[in-house]
Amino acid sequence: MTGRWRALLRLYAVQGTWNYERMLGVGMGYAAEPLLEDLKTVDPVRHSEAVVRSTEFFNCNPNLAGLALGATARAEYEAVPGVQIVRLRTALCSPLGALGDELFWAGLVPALVGMALAAVVLGAGWWAIAGLLLVYNLFRLATGIWAIRTGLQAGMKVGAAIGASWIPAAVARIGPVAGFTAGLAIPLVAAWFLRGFGWAGGLGAVALAGVGVAVTRWFGPALTSVRFTLVAMVILLLFRRIGL
Amino acid sequence: MSDLQPYGALLLVLWGTLTALDLVSVPQGLLCRPVVAGAVAGWLAGDVQAGLRVGVLFECFALDVLPIGAVRYPDYGPATVAATAVAAGAPWEFGLGLGAILGLVLAAIGGRSLQFVRRWNARAIQHRAAALAAGESGAIRRLQYGGLLRDAVRGAVLTAVGLGVAWAITRALPLDRRTAVGLSLVAIGGALSAAVNGAIRSAGRGPRLRWLIGGAGVGLLLAVLT
Repeated sequence: MTGRWRALLRLYAVQGTWNYERMLGVGMGYAAEPLLEDLKTVDPVRHSEAVVRSTEFFNCNPNLAGLALGATARAEYEAVPGVQIVRLRTALCSPLGALGDELFWAGLVPALVGMALAAVVLGAGWWAIAGLLLVYNLFRLATGIWAIRTGLQAGMKVGAAIGASWIPAAVARIGPVAGFTAGLAIPLVAAWFLRGFGWAGGLGAVALAGVGVAVTRWFGPALTSVRFTLVAMVILLLFRRIGL
Repeated sequence: MSDLQPYGALLLVLWGTLTALDLVSVPQGLLCRPVVAGAVAGWLAGDVQAGLRVGVLFECFALDVLPIGAVRYPDYGPATVAATAVAAGAPWEFGLGLGAILGLVLAAIGGRSLQFVRRWNARAIQHRAAALAAGESGAIRRLQYGGLLRDAVRGAVLTAVGLGVAWAITRALPLDRRTAVGLSLVAIGGALSAAVNGAIRSAGRGPRLRWLIGGAGVGLLLAVLT
């Protein structure tokens, strides 16, 4: 089977046609194309069916989509019945979504962003930005390579391969790191911004932040932090306009 | 706002487009994170410091977003680029607040525009449903490139409109110093509330909360010492 690298590259655009009907479906079909190329010469009918299946509804974290991609591609080459392949895709949606979201969106990204924020305000400048991009993208590339390889090796047994892999342990470990770096960054960012405004200004901003936390948590999604801030800004502009 | 030459404005539009694409479509390499978008936009606008300030501010707002499943969220990439254009060339204490107003509104519009592109993608797929059902690889490729193009256009329009509004408000709305500083303080307060909200929500009640509190303690100590 050829085309692993092309499939990996195409996975970077797996959400290119994201929509509420098929979600990642078409993007998965696009990424599957290089992996399924050899099937065209071996079994053209099966190839057509495989292409159709690859574009059907699918959703998971894009960084772990390679596991489903590799597993279904191998299943197609092994002539596993189409119904079973569809069932495998459906079954993989939730675990790959939950694990990937926990690992990347709730773990690695806030952890690295927290570190970058702390580093920027402590004077690291461009080094902090470069470090953030480099570490994240190297980790993501390595995960993508691993995901496709594991999916292709495991085929229909990909569920067991995921369970035995490093992912569940990494999910458990990254959460506390993200918590720590977010906690580290917030006071540093506050001090970095408020140092230039004097005590009155600083206390005012911190008090507003406290009110913002309380009010937005009280009202829930109806009043987001963005809306709260915009309302506070409009009130300030109105007060200034009438001379307060 | 520093006086941008057409070439500089074009580069900012290109950068804003790239950050918009990075959010969902391609390559999702954290280019859309405000701290990255702001630093590069500041460099392109000739004021890295303003870019970093705006980037860190919007990053605090972005920490309140958990892009899980089909959740709807603001698009902070082009918003940060436009806000940086407002803040560039002036002392950051005066430009940050005005930039934040424009950026937050633009981020919300950007989030809405993402829904529009997603619905447009769905219509395009329905239009080619027969070709997809026949397993035509060419149809898949055309859909994919079409989706990327739609998102790129969305990002370019969003950034260009943002830069246009930035140019207009810095000329049409000259704020007195007290109002400008007041707006900056409100923006900082709002950003801190967003960051705290996001951190608490992500932490839940498990061990992560203890690590969050520990980190905040270390951060407070460092803030006092530095």
